[in-house]
Amino acid sequence: VRKFKRIAIANRGEVAVRIIHACEELGIETVLLHSEADVGTRAYRMATKKICIGPAPTAQSYLNIAANIDGARAGGAEAIHPGFGFLSENADFAEACERAGLVFIGPSPRATRTLGDKVSCKALAKKLGVPLVPGYEGDDQSVETLISEAEKIGFPVIVKAAAGGGGRGMKVLRSKEEARELIESAQREGQSAFGSPKVFLEKYLEKAKHIEFQIFGDCTGRVIHLFDRECSVQRRHQKIIEEALSPSLTPDLRRKMGEVATSLATHANYRGAGTVEFLLQDDSFYFLEVNTRLQVEHPVTELVMGVDLVKAQILTAQGDPVFPETQLLAPRGHSIECRLYAENSFLGGVPSTGLLGEVKFPEGPGRRYEYGFEAGDEISSYYDPMIAKVIVWDENRRRAIEKMKKVLQETVIFGVHTNIPYLLEILSHPEFVQGTMTTRFIDTYFSQPLQEPTLSELEKAVVATAQRSVRSVETGGGSAATEFPSPWLTYWRGI
Amino acid sequence: MRLKGEFQGQEWQAEAQLIKGQLWVHINGRTLTVEPEKKSTRRGGAKNKSGDIVAPMPGKVTKLLKQKGDSVAAGEAVLVMEAMKMEYTLKADIGGRVEELQCSVGEQVSLGKMLVKISASAETAGIKA
Repeated sequence: VRKFKRIAIANRGEVAVRIIHACEELGIETVLLHSEADVGTRAYRMATKKICIGPAPTAQSYLNIAANIDGARAGGAEAIHPGFGFLSENADFAEACERAGLVFIGPSPRATRTLGDKVSCKALAKKLGVPLVPGYEGDDQSVETLISEAEKIGFPVIVKAAAGGGGRGMKVLRSKEEARELIESAQREGQSAFGSPKVFLEKYLEKAKHIEFQIFGDCTGRVIHLFDRECSVQRRHQKIIEEALSPSLTPDLRRKMGEVATSLATHANYRGAGTVEFLLQDDSFYFLEVNTRLQVEHPVTELVMGVDLVKAQILTAQGDPVFPETQLLAPRGHSIECRLYAENSFLGGVPSTGLLGEVKFPEGPGRRYEYGFEAGDEISSYYDPMIAKVIVWDENRRRAIEKMKKVLQETVIFGVHTNIPYLLEILSHPEFVQGTMTTRFIDTYFSQPLQEPTLSELEKAVVATAQRSVRSVETGGGSAATEFPSPWLTYWRGI
Repeated sequence: MRLKGEFQGQEWQAEAQLIKGQLWVHINGRTLTVEPEKKSTRRGGAKNKSGDIVAPMPGKVTKLLKQKGDSVAAGEAVLVMEAMKMEYTLKADIGGRVEELQCSVGEQVSLGKMLVKISASAETAGIKA
C-alpha cells in the first residue's frame, strides 16, 4: 500500500473537477494537464498545479500521449487519472504511464485491451456463453465488405467505431442506398475522435432499452457489481438522461445480468471501475460492450449505492482494499441525472457557444451539481457540448422526476442556450414517466426542434422591466465591467 | 441581476443579464433572450428556408458532397461539418443547382457563415409555386 502525494488529471471540464474533489478529500494534490483553450475553466482554478500540454485541438493535447506523460512528470505526479473519454480507454496510454513510472488509475493495459476493444471483448463474451446481438466484427474494413455484411445481418444495422464510445462514430443504416455515406462518416468520426477508423456492424434493435451494470474490481482481484443504470434516453446514441436503478428489470433479470457482468470482468482480471452495457428487448438481454473507465453517469450509482467511485478508483490504485464485506451495498431510493448541453432546443439542438454569464443552481436536499464552467468562462466549439450534469436523489422514481423538473426550472444559465427546455419536455412525457422508454424514444417523439412557446403577458412585462433596468445599470458607469468578467475574451480573439 | 416587481397584482422575481448586447431573462422556469437593437423578443431563432446554406454553428467543414453546377434535390445532403466532435450533415432546403461554393474542406467556419448558395431550378420553382 502506498499513498499518493500528487495525481495528474488527463482530462477537462466537470470530470476534472470531480477528480479534484476526490483528491482534495483524500489529502492528495493535483496537476491539471490542460490545453491552451482551457485556462478559463473551474478545474484550472481548483487544481494545485496546472501544466499546459498543447493547443486546443484534442489530437495535439488531450489525445497526445507523450504530452500527457511529460506533463505529469514535470508536475511531479505519481499517478494519472484519465477521467472518461480522451485517453481513458487507451491501453497504449496505460502502458506508456507504466513505462514512465506513473500509476495509471484504471484497469491493466491487458484488461483494457481484452474488454475495451469491442471485437476481442465479444470473443470473450461468446466463449462465456453471454448472449450477443448478431453482427460483423471482421478485419476486412473495406466499405464494400461492410455493405455486404450489413445486408447479411439485415437492415437496420448500426455501424460503430471499434475504439469508440460516447455515441461518436455511430450511425444507423436503414438501407443499402445510404450505407456507403454513413459507413464512411463513421470511419471519419472514429479517426478524428479516437485515432482509428476501424468499425464494426451490429443488428439494430428497434425497441430496446439500454441497461448497464457498474462493476468494480478491487486491488485483491475481487470483482463486484454495484447494480444497474438505465440510459435509454439517447439522441444520436449520446445519452441525455440516466437513472439508477433501471425501472425495467425484474429481480430475476437483474440477478442474471449482474452475474454476466461480474463474470466478464472477473475473466479479464478487471481492476477499478467499469461498466458492462446491455440491450434489453422483450425480456431478453444482449451484451453490448464494456467501458473500461469511469462513466459520465457514475453519480446516479453513487447516490443510490452510497459509494464514492472516484475515491475507490484512487484507493484501488494505491493498493487499498475498498467495499469491505461489512459495508452494506444495497440500492436505496432512486437517482436521475440530466446532462446539460450547450445547445439550442428550439433549433434542433445546434451547439451554442459563447461567454457564459450568470450560472445558478438551486440549493436543496438530494441535489448534486457537477460543472466545469462558471460565469465568465468561454464555452468553445473545440470540445463536447456538455457543460454540466444535474443529479437528484429521492425515495422513489416519481418523486425524483418531480424534483428534477423543479431543479431544472430553477436553474439559471445565461450566455449560452441549454437543452433545459428539451429535458423538461422529456421528463413530462408519459412514456418516460411510466419508465417504458426505449432507445428510439428521442427519435420517435423528439426528432423535431421544440416549438417556440409564445410569451405570456407576464413574461413580456418582465422583459420590458429588465430592458429598462439593465440599461440603467450600464449607463450607471463602470458596473458593466464587474457584471461581465471576461478575462479570456482578448485571448480568444488572438487565436 | 435580480429583479422584482408586480404584474396585475402578482409578485414576480426574475434574473436578468446583458451579455454582448443580448439580454437574458430567467422568469418562472424559462430563459428568454432578447436582441435589444431589434426590440423583438424571441427564443432561439428562425430557420433559414432559402437556397442559402449557412453554418448553423462554428465548426470545421469536413466534406463537400456537391460541386459547383451540380443539381440537388430538396433534403439532399450537401456538405458535412464537424463541431464539438460530432458530425452534422447539412442538407438543401430547396431543390436546384449549386450556384456557388463559399467554403472548402478543412476550413474552420464561424456561426452564420454562408457556405453554399443554391439557385432554385425552374422545375422545382414551378412545383413550389
